[in-house]
Amino acid sequence: MPDDDNLGEKPVIMPHTYDGIQEYDQSLPNWWLFTLFASIAFAFLYWLANFATDTTPDDRVAVNAEMDALEARQLAAVKNLDDATLWKMSRNAKTVAEGQAVYNSLCFTCHGPTMAGMKGLGFRLNDEFWVHGNTPTAIFNNISEGIMFEGKPTGMASQKVLGTGRIAAVTAFLLSMQKEGAMKVIPRKDEPSQLAP
Amino acid sequence: MRPDPIRESVTTIGKDGTRRFLQPSLVFGAWWKARRVVAWLLIAFFAALPWIEIEGFPAVFLDIEHRRFHLLGTTLGLGDLWLLFFVITGWGFLIYATTALLGRIWCGWTCPQTVYLEHVFRVVDRIFEGDHVSRTRLDGRSWGEPAKLLRRGGRMLAYLVLCWAVAHIFLAYFISIPGLYPMITDAPLAHPAAFVAMAVATAVLFFNFWWFREQLCLIICPYGRLQSALIDDDSVIVGYDEKRGEPRGKPAAGLAAGDCVDCRRCVQVCPTGIDIRQGLQMECIACTACVDACDDVMAKLRRPPGLVRYASLRELDGGKTRFLRPRTILYAAMLVVGLIVATVSVLRVQPAGFKLSRPPQTELYSVSAGSVANVFRAKIQNKDEAPRRFFISAEASGTKVTVLNQSAGMVIAPQAEITLPLTLLVDRQDYRGEFNFTLRLRSEDGKISLLQKAHFIGPDPRDLKR
Ligand code: SF4
Ligand code: SF4
Repeated sequence: MPDDDNLGEKPVIMPHTYDGIQEYDQSLPNWWLFTLFASIAFAFLYWLANFATDTTPDDRVAVNAEMDALEARQLAAVKNLDDATLWKMSRNAKTVAEGQAVYNSLCFTCHGPTMAGMKGLGFRLNDEFWVHGNTPTAIFNNISEGIMFEGKPTGMASQKVLGTGRIAAVTAFLLSMQKEGAMKVIPRKDEPSQLAP
Repeated sequence: MRPDPIRESVTTIGKDGTRRFLQPSLVFGAWWKARRVVAWLLIAFFAALPWIEIEGFPAVFLDIEHRRFHLLGTTLGLGDLWLLFFVITGWGFLIYATTALLGRIWCGWTCPQTVYLEHVFRVVDRIFEGDHVSRTRLDGRSWGEPAKLLRRGGRMLAYLVLCWAVAHIFLAYFISIPGLYPMITDAPLAHPAAFVAMAVATAVLFFNFWWFREQLCLIICPYGRLQSALIDDDSVIVGYDEKRGEPRGKPAAGLAAGDCVDCRRCVQVCPTGIDIRQGLQMECIACTACVDACDDVMAKLRRPPGLVRYASLRELDGGKTRFLRPRTILYAAMLVVGLIVATVSVLRVQPAGFKLSRPPQTELYSVSAGSVANVFRAKIQNKDEAPRRFFISAEASGTKVTVLNQSAGMVIAPQAEITLPLTLLVDRQDYRGEFNFTLRLRSEDGKISLLQKAHFIGPDPRDLKR
């Protein structure tokens, strides 16, 4: 063993010269070489597991599966979203808080930060008077699909922006200020927020 | 006799690339004593930091789980991470400046690798396996012999326990002592992630101190490789006084002998396996072991110490070390600039965040009978540990801007962020076209005041007159 120690005599210089630089004929540390071979082996196994075979789940497949599940959940949720469910959601503090956060980030811009409505923009939402339907599902649909008035879109269709979950939460937030059976439909011209101040 | 190490080859790697373990001899000396004291202080400091509480949090607590970093009473969130730039460059320039002046004192005195290897693990080596002679003998024995099994096996156990302890201290920096305690007392499976992290940290430390050792300094650590760029003829390094020492040993007849008696003690003690008499080498971590070793020998021979000593290449060549040179001045200047910028920016970190945007898909402005309105969306963050009340006000020159429904302010929970709808109104009579204004977020106690510039959009004022 001691014969192989790197002591005493100088190592041999390799014959080649690049840009005037020469090198000694030394072996690399074995542990260093091991890291090289280990990474080659790892690359091969990685390729085998992820590309050559289907041993590990593909990210794309996983994401697609998750998206499908999400869509199914949303569809199921819409199907089950009847008035009773929405009323129930509106008495859940967590859902209401979530809906309020959504309101504060988007809806307020037209309906006002206090929900009192803004003239020429959005109707008042914190009173018991409703112009486009007085049931929870009607409110949900209006938020989701928007409102057509005299052939022009007025309310904002938010399905793409918010998704079913958050629309349900906003609906719950609006309902949290209402009493079941006390919501009244009024004609558009009587909407208080649009009357002259 | 074993031949001398040579400059061209690494002593700890054999001709065939195999790992060669060194069993350096221990030398007690003045430098060794000083280094041990420094090392113990550093270890004590490292172990104590997570226990020290400043303003309710450990002095250093890098809470990765909640993405909050508590440093000496200041709490930084992920948003303040850019400050790391100054920490890292500051550290860099500190090391550059000291290296240009004093060579690798970082390596020899303060690097954790040296501190733990020399002052903890090599101590264990000596306790279990004796001095370098008996350790070398043990190297040659087979594991079947009870003596080796007992001594080296015992040493291995001691290493594992120590690495496990160091790993605990290390992890305490990330989960704090109160967080660590239940993980120690509960069953391992109750906290699988922490358990795995602990096991991996212990294994890495064990591998490093048991097997890898000086290879880290020689081959992996970038700092050692930077030396040729940082050191010049005036940097103070550990060097051999060739003028005084040579010709070494017993010289040929007629030549006056140098002070080096070629006892090879300096080679025997070197933890990286080099011969300092061959000049400054990349492997030298300036650990001063060879200085102590040679001073020892010189004392026995009644010759003055310092044949191997801290000196610059210029000094060893008979000149005088220049400490003030463009390089040291430049590095020091960069260090000072960095320190100032870092201090100022850390002091200016606010315990709150305030951002402004316009909500998407909305009208830019609206006009009602009495006023012109703009809507904004404010994101307000309370980075503090207590709830705080904030107020928002608008400031514009020449125009009165009212923030709707914000007179009572809002209370934000600790470490929470809210999105706040803001409606800004300008009286129709006051409105004279678009203008710039400033929104101020103020805490109730007045300690925090953040500004955001914004632009008020509106119609051409002439249209309003109609
Ligand atoms: S070479 Fe790197 S790891 Fe070794 S003592 Fe110096 S700084 Fe530490
Ligand atoms: S040459 Fe001297 S100072 Fe450098 S690593 Fe070896 S013993 Fe330490």
